Amino acid sequence: MSVSKKIVLLGHFGVGKSSLLRRFVENTFSDNYVVTIGVHIMKKEVVVDASNKVTLIIWDVEGTDDFTKYRPSYLMGASSFVYVFDASRPVTYGDLKFNLGHLKEKHPNVPVHIIGNKVDLVDANEIKKALEEQEVQHSYLSSAKTGENVEQLFKDVAAQLLENA
Amino acid sequence: MLDNLRQDFINKTTQLVVVNRELEVVDSDNNLFDISKNSDITDFHPFFFALTTIFDEELQEETFFCVQMEVLGKHYFIDIKTYIGEDGDTLVLILNDLTDHYKTVHQIKQVRNESIINFNISQELNQQLEIQRSFKNKFLANVSHEIRTPLNSIVGFISVLENTEISREQLDVLHIIKDSSKNLVTILDDLMDISKIEAGKLDIKKRRFDFREFVEKLAKTYQIRTDDKRLSFDFELSSKIPRFLVGDHLRINQVIVNLLENALKYTHQGGIKFSVTTSSVNARRIPVTFEVTDTGIGIPKEKLDSIFDSFTQLEKRGLFGGSGLGLSIVKQLTDLLESDLEVKSVEGEGSTFSFTVFMGVSHNQKKEKVAKKKRDKKDLKGAKRPRILLGEDVEVNQLLMMRLFADYGAYSLDIAKNGERVVEYLDRFPYDLVILDLTMPVMDGLDAAVQIRNSSNKKVSKLPIIALTARTSQEEQDAAKEAGMNAYLTKPIDADLLFSTIERLLSRYKRKDKVLEISEEEE
Repeated sequence: MSVSKKIVLLGHFGVGKSSLLRRFVENTFSDNYVVTIGVHIMKKEVVVDASNKVTLIIWDVEGTDDFTKYRPSYLMGASSFVYVFDASRPVTYGDLKFNLGHLKEKHPNVPVHIIGNKVDLVDANEIKKALEEQEVQHSYLSSAKTGENVEQLFKDVAAQLLENA
Repeated sequence: MLDNLRQDFINKTTQLVVVNRELEVVDSDNNLFDISKNSDITDFHPFFFALTTIFDEELQEETFFCVQMEVLGKHYFIDIKTYIGEDGDTLVLILNDLTDHYKTVHQIKQVRNESIINFNISQELNQQLEIQRSFKNKFLANVSHEIRTPLNSIVGFISVLENTEISREQLDVLHIIKDSSKNLVTILDDLMDISKIEAGKLDIKKRRFDFREFVEKLAKTYQIRTDDKRLSFDFELSSKIPRFLVGDHLRINQVIVNLLENALKYTHQGGIKFSVTTSSVNARRIPVTFEVTDTGIGIPKEKLDSIFDSFTQLEKRGLFGGSGLGLSIVKQLTDLLESDLEVKSVEGEGSTFSFTVFMGVSHNQKKEKVAKKKRDKKDLKGAKRPRILLGEDVEVNQLLMMRLFADYGAYSLDIAKNGERVVEYLDRFPYDLVILDLTMPVMDGLDAAVQIRNSSNKKVSKLPIIALTARTSQEEQDAAKEAGMNAYLTKPIDADLLFSTIERLLSRYKRKDKVLEISEEEE
């Protein structure tokens, strides 16, 4: 079975959404921060198991701290959201609960994966504690720089998409 | 003409494409990109997978702004509009190339986002530093308190022992113990000062003082100290400097003492020169330059930059002792005094430290005649001795105070073991002054002071109160003042300071007809 599914990377600017995408699709990384404006789209086929493949059409959307301002056309038709925050900047996950509530309200049937990126810069336990305080369950702590958990998180997203297909 | 203009300005930036439900290209004018007829448009770019949703949800008209596309190595920013065709089975796409416009937007957002991120990061760092600083200060305050408490009895009982009949040899040993204890107190004070300076809690307090007397006394002290070490001591005080100046003599003293101690520590032959000069006269504010030169071990060139860091000691082999905080304090204090500390040094030959402080020249250059009352214990013997109540829970401190008061002989002392007892005693017996330890069980000194000040009995509520504590932080001093205490003395107890403070407060208490104002805390 082979299907194509749109997923959208969301989150504040500078959290490393584009870096995660490049690490996943091209296996490259640059320390230079280049702002994404509008939307940048890439695709990659993920082999979930011997008989199942998913082509992920990944929309890397311009970052914002105000989720109510996302253009509906960017989020339209998404099968999954990947909410990325920067584990080294609390300001990018301080409003996680609020933003998740907004997504749930506008897109009740779209699953959300929460990813703490740049985990190479922080103590993972501190982040886990901070998220527990917000009663938020993260999916992965990742690092686009080292590649930690990047492949795994997109594979998990793909597997879940197949389950829901 | 319009056709030509359309060709130049619209066709070059706009492309029309028609696709069917299978996302096959039905037609394309290829103004921007070469998209083959009958090809799958998703092969051209993955964006076009989105068209499936538009068909499925029958969205008549939709716009996707700023879609990034890389075609033949060139980066484009495209706005894409979609319209469902009249037959319902085709979709008309209008691709509008706005690359130039979006590139400008991109540059603006790049700068904006970078500055916000940098601001976030620096804010976060500041918060972390503040947490670390406050932890360090709390830790230092606690350590200082814990060390000062036993040190109090050591220093106190040394004074008691000094006044007993002991042999010359025992007295010499006692002086060594006394000096070592004083060093320990200095290290604790330095540690606390460093943390106060770092926390921005050390203020410069300018007052009129006898500058010449102050400097001459300092020179006298170090004349003796250098004699002991068989070093020469040259002292120069410019005659151009007026007697009375306005400045923070305590902090200036601290800087000079640190510099002179440093010179003394690192000089083993030759000598030390201490000079105080000015380059200007007859002004309301004059620059006063202090210079300490020694013929000591000097400082290697490569280490000149690090000597002002906390805990840096040139001699790491432990030959010279000390906490390594001296020069760091000197640097930070001279900064506070708005002065530049300069150092010149040649390894093996010696060093010169100098700094210049601008000080006000007092209008009044006359020395006040202070009628000093000599304390004469015998005189007091016949008179009724003032009665003092001490609140102190630690037994060894109680014992020490009893000995100090017994030796002094001018006052009678009662001791209560906590603040609650103090308040009880005051209700039952008449006292002239109260001394309170701040840290006590049941009721601490601050609460006791508040209760005293709130007493309905005016003879109690107006009593002078002295805080006597091992806690040295500015917060504690402020809290004591707020609780209505008149003086703040720190442990280890300086017996002379304690009794002179008692005397001063008692005479004020009497002079003001038993109405006492809350005075400034003791230095």
